[in-house]
Amino acid sequence: MLGRGVKRKWSCLEEAEVVSEAAEDKQQHEDEDGQDGLLDPSRSDMSRLQQRQLVLGLCLEKLQRYQAGVELSLRRSVLLINTLRQIQEEMRSDGVGSCDVHPDSCLLRDDFREDVTVTCPGCSEGESPPELPSQEANGSDQQKPPAAVSDAVNAMGYLGDLALDDIFEDIDTSMYETSDLPSAWASGSLWPLSVSLWPDEDVKLRPQSHSTAGSLQSCLMDLNELDHIMEILVKS
Amino acid sequence: ASINCRVTSCLFSFIQDWVYVWSDIISTVEFNYSGELLATGDKGGRVVIFQHEQESKNRPHLRGEYNVYSTFQSHEPEFDYLKSLEIEEKINKIRWLPQQNAAHFLLSTNDKTIKLWKISERDKRAEGYNLKDEDGRLRDPFRITSLRVPVLMPMDLMVEASPRRIFANAHTYHINSISVNSDHETYLSADDLRINLWHLEITDRSFNIVDIKPANMEELTEVITAAECHPHQCNVFVYSSSKGTIRLCDMRAAALCDRHSKFFEEPEDPSSRSFFSEIISSISDVKFSHSGRYMMTRDYLSVKVWDLNMENRPVETYQVHEYLRSKLCSLYENDCIFDKFECCWNGSDSAIMTGSYNNFFRMFDRNTRRDITLEASRESSKPRATLKPRKVSTGGKRKKDEISVDSLDFNKKILHTAWHPKDNVIAVAATNNLYIFQDKIN
Repeated sequence: MLGRGVKRKWSCLEEAEVVSEAAEDKQQHEDEDGQDGLLDPSRSDMSRLQQRQLVLGLCLEKLQRYQAGVELSLRRSVLLINTLRQIQEEMRSDGVGSCDVHPDSCLLRDDFREDVTVTCPGCSEGESPPELPSQEANGSDQQKPPAAVSDAVNAMGYLGDLALDDIFEDIDTSMYETSDLPSAWASGSLWPLSVSLWPDEDVKLRPQSHSTAGSLQSCLMDLNELDHIMEILVKS
Repeated sequence: ASINCRVTSCLFSFIQDWVYVWSDIISTVEFNYSGELLATGDKGGRVVIFQHEQESKNRPHLRGEYNVYSTFQSHEPEFDYLKSLEIEEKINKIRWLPQQNAAHFLLSTNDKTIKLWKISERDKRAEGYNLKDEDGRLRDPFRITSLRVPVLMPMDLMVEASPRRIFANAHTYHINSISVNSDHETYLSADDLRINLWHLEITDRSFNIVDIKPANMEELTEVITAAECHPHQCNVFVYSSSKGTIRLCDMRAAALCDRHSKFFEEPEDPSSRSFFSEIISSISDVKFSHSGRYMMTRDYLSVKVWDLNMENRPVETYQVHEYLRSKLCSLYENDCIFDKFECCWNGSDSAIMTGSYNNFFRMFDRNTRRDITLEASRESSKPRATLKPRKVSTGGKRKKDEISVDSLDFNKKILHTAWHPKDNVIAVAATNNLYIFQDKIN
């Protein structure tokens, strides 16, 4: 049964009185949480550093937020990652090499998850696997994209578009026809594919033995499945 | 002088005409070229078309009303098995084709597939067939003793919608725009990274005219947010980006329009730079003026009018809700900063309209520089009364009838609005309500 637009005549406004009372009540109260209102005024007085920390935490949280079966908006992901890059650039130029950043800021969020800790780029870079993309390995530390950004990029499944590119035509896809892969994995990225094409970029696979505390991969990937796929690829 | 009077009245004497209520969120609104038909698409993949009916004696002071003309299911939810992802049936855009015969044609698109629909009227049916009777049952051949010629008899008007073309499998990313070309033979479709040019008759292939996908996806920093064909020059189109830039391309220059002919960008004011500068500069809509001389872009806080001959800055900038600038952090937190508002011109290009929060929408008169904020709400005004202008108070003291910024309802957003191509009739979609406003004739 198709939905039809129902025309409401002006005479049917009895319920409007009830609604308008509720609306007036709402106007008296200042909402502090959720989407109906904005944060209380004291938040706007935050220092730039505090705001930066808050935005950094929000950025990572938003990038992590994943809904199985629904494709992420590329525009939103790009904007989030650009914001993240901007913050990390600023942090780097501020000389934040030794954890000036308080991971506790993430605890401000009500839905903070224990498996996520935010560390400043300097710290996480030290722990990340040494196999960086060869084309970027020559660059100085300043030029490498921070590990958190790469993680975020991978998590977004940027590399996961299969439909049109002819270069994928001759790839044996029989390994992807298993239904065992969790949807998070399947849609997160098809970068096992890209590993076979761009052998230099093995870095995109973060084997579980190197997972960092702050790694987003660990949040999104089923690591057993990852190992399984790795085995198949290495053998093929 | 008469045009100016009309313009003044259009901003300040809109009255609420009808409210239509849906079960789903309305996702697009579009008048056809004559304004006789108004098409809406919703999140459930349905299209509802309204038709303007002549003025009636009971409403002498108003134009005719819009009534439901046709309803059909345009898109169904699909599943991409390769990526294990749902493909939403939500209608992202509807664009009408210019009318060439009795039937009406429109293009509707979801994230992946564009469909050409034919909407036609049937008010006659044939009766008196020889081989079957009126119920459709076959007649016993032995009982047929004479031949008769079937005749056309009038019947109740039936409006049928049938899909005539399906343009599929050409977009890896989500389609955000479609635009019919002025040659009436081709149209373009744009997703986050690519723009394709189609011929309306050919569904199995399209030309890729813009491709901004980098070889290494990690280098991706910018996406396409909207695209439109020039209203008169069939070789020209524009596309906007998430970085607040607009590129104008000429299809005569090359097959692949990766190099723009013109690049529109306003230099950033370094004093207002914040973490959110890029996000709020992202353009959510781009529309050419009817004249083809200007184009309008909508970013998060403002609407800008550009002269196509001047690339380094817009000729006009209108602030939609500047009071939100100090609240960007909160709006980032609740994701509202990613909302995509549309904008539209009136028929004479003298006024522009766009939506805001709290079911507010804004109109700007380009000649007098006056602006007005109106509310699409069922409880806000008496029937037939002129809509009262609304005001958001930004200072400490809130005047009577003003609403404070912190009381705004950010769930009530008006993202889609449309202006009749000739008259001062507007359609405003507020979540699942469609409002039709018009100005008083006298």
